Amino acid sequence: MSRISVPTTAPLPSSLRVNPSSTTVTKILSRLSRASLISVALDWLDEDNLSLATPYLRPDQDDDEEEDDGDFYPPASSPEELREEYLSLQNRKGSKRDVLDRITTGDWRHGVSLYQLAIADLQYLYDHPTSHKWSAYNIVPLKAPTEDDDGEVQPLEADKTSLTIPRFHPSLFLKSLQAHILPDIKAHYNLDRHKTLPLLILRIFVIDSPYNTSLSLFSNGNMDTGSKTILIAFPDGSPNIFISKPTSTGPTGASESKSLRALLVEGIPKALSLPRQRVTLQSTSLTTRNLEGLLNRRGATRGNAAGGGWSIYADEKVKESPLSTVLPSPPLSDATEEEEQGNGDKKRRERPTVEERVNKRAKLVAQARFGDTARVGDGKGVERVDLVMEDPFEIGGDDADRMDIEGADDGEEAFRPNVRLTFHGNHVFAGIRQLVECGVIDGEKMPGWMTGEEGVTVGAVRNGRIRGHKGSGL
Amino acid sequence: MSSPLRTSPQPPTLDDEISALQSKITTLKSALALQASTLLTSPSTLALLSSDPKLASQSSLHQSHHLQTLYRTCATLTLFRAQDPDPNAVDAGSILGLRIEVVSRAKFLRPYYVLFNRPWASSSSLPGPQRKWLRVHRHTVPSCIPLSGLAARYLPSPDKDDTRRKQDLGKFARGVRREVVRYHARLGTVADLRKAAGLGRGGDGGDKSGLVDISPADAEVRHVSVEWGDGRTGRLVIGDDGEVEKLVVVGENGRDREAGRELLGGLGLAGTVKAEEVVRRLAGTGGA
Repeated sequence: MSRISVPTTAPLPSSLRVNPSSTTVTKILSRLSRASLISVALDWLDEDNLSLATPYLRPDQDDDEEEDDGDFYPPASSPEELREEYLSLQNRKGSKRDVLDRITTGDWRHGVSLYQLAIADLQYLYDHPTSHKWSAYNIVPLKAPTEDDDGEVQPLEADKTSLTIPRFHPSLFLKSLQAHILPDIKAHYNLDRHKTLPLLILRIFVIDSPYNTSLSLFSNGNMDTGSKTILIAFPDGSPNIFISKPTSTGPTGASESKSLRALLVEGIPKALSLPRQRVTLQSTSLTTRNLEGLLNRRGATRGNAAGGGWSIYADEKVKESPLSTVLPSPPLSDATEEEEQGNGDKKRRERPTVEERVNKRAKLVAQARFGDTARVGDGKGVERVDLVMEDPFEIGGDDADRMDIEGADDGEEAFRPNVRLTFHGNHVFAGIRQLVECGVIDGEKMPGWMTGEEGVTVGAVRNGRIRGHKGSGL
Repeated sequence: MSSPLRTSPQPPTLDDEISALQSKITTLKSALALQASTLLTSPSTLALLSSDPKLASQSSLHQSHHLQTLYRTCATLTLFRAQDPDPNAVDAGSILGLRIEVVSRAKFLRPYYVLFNRPWASSSSLPGPQRKWLRVHRHTVPSCIPLSGLAARYLPSPDKDDTRRKQDLGKFARGVRREVVRYHARLGTVADLRKAAGLGRGGDGGDKSGLVDISPADAEVRHVSVEWGDGRTGRLVIGDDGEVEKLVVVGENGRDREAGRELLGGLGLAGTVKAEEVVRRLAGTGGA
């Protein structure tokens, strides 16, 4: 540890060790389950990571000393030994407390490195995929700056006609992001690939300190009062970016964490920009806890601008080769045909009751409106949708009123109550689909925004449609 | 057919048999459909069919489908009509669909679709022709294709003060197709490069050429990162016409021009060499 701390603009090094008794470390480690803790420890002890996560080992010259000097967790002599120790812990039963104590007061008593914390934090994300709230942003190219007659530089505008897709280079991005972070805060960056999803995750760990030595972490509790973590995910093959809501350890206000996010939203496009090719971030009104759902709507798939019933056009499983001479069956007919043939018993040949027919019709309508999306178990749900209704209140509900809505611009005395709708649940649109299937909602009269086809979670409804159509990619 | 419905828990052997039979049923069914369609459209049977009105109507259906597939195969850009199920949809839910066929690895992929609507159909403030202008409503084009840029260029929104503005669906469709085809060609080239360098799918290998990894490095697959076993890394930029625009190889001691020349195989400078030639050269050295 260096004796003097000099303010610098360099990032915090990954090998920087943090006192294991500090609140941040205990908070990050103690929320992991026992199995995850052991797997994280084994990950630290991996050959590739060992240099950044060196455990406390028995010094060689101490060999002749008495081993048991009241040490509850005697230090191991080599990483291999420790690895075996943790492997045996994996097979044994025991409490989480034991493993946690072993890590903080035994094998890593001299400190847990920032890299180790980053790995542990990511493990928590894998264990609890919904632990972060992500917002999707679109990376949009900007026009070249122009000057007006007085020589003043005009504010930059998004270049709508640009044909370039912004490119992302991880190490270059990190370098320039570092240059845009203010010098009075220090950050630690860790890039990692998501284990299962096609994502690159950047974890930024920020502390309020101008120094990048371990002294700044130990002294005056900077670490515990003002540290924040923010995750940024870059989906493969898609000019979008997902930013998580910052989580802080200390008693920081909501405004502070908001401002950090605003700072990042401002800094990220600058870091992504290349010479003569500036970009900006545009919010896409999609915020959810479900990363998989986000990828489905903003990833590199075909379904980005074809949600709800339109997903039949995006389904890659459907074979539609122009070389096939077989007459194609319309999307909804083959399912029903199959069902009729399968239930070809005499019993089913009887006339279905009215109720049966209504049920069947409701199911078909749901299939038509939602396609293959919004199934309960598909894991692509959003948990909250907020909508503002801007349509005038319909008094009669006749066709005449409908005409009024179409030409709503001229009638300024139309009664527009302030109505906000919030849908809440594990999978909002699957819930609506189920209601349609049960016949609670009339699927044929249901407006399109209830199917989730716009791919937004915040929106304003006017003329029965979500305004702006940001979800359709234009 | 009825046996799988009645069976309750059965030993696995019978289950296997049932599933085998069911897969046979599906193959036979598809074979039957294929044969029927071939018979219904073959010119020699047409004369026989005309006596039966039901068969004749079936035959005409099949024939129109044949015509459609012929257009789809040869023109690769086809239009169709669709209906928006949303009761509040603009223009009573009329949708114009654009179907873009893509061939990759000697196979037709699922076509890409762009669906248009006419949001200005009922707006009284615009001159007549502009009310029929189209707007991209939904599409299945991947996000690495600059669809919105193309739409802004060729399908601008109407402006009653600017009468010079024009929409050009043909140019838009051709532009999207060009980008989509280029994208798939680049994807194919990267796959060919991997194959030529002896790199399996995810598995290691590539001892022959010393290369350990070739993978796309950006969303558009314009940049390809190349890695050698000895730690050298390189970047290859593929241009619009499949030429190697730029190539940089960086080794331990800075830029390694020798390796770059070697990869291009003395074919010339970057910018004049096609990516396929690099593939061919890699495959050649791999075999030797």
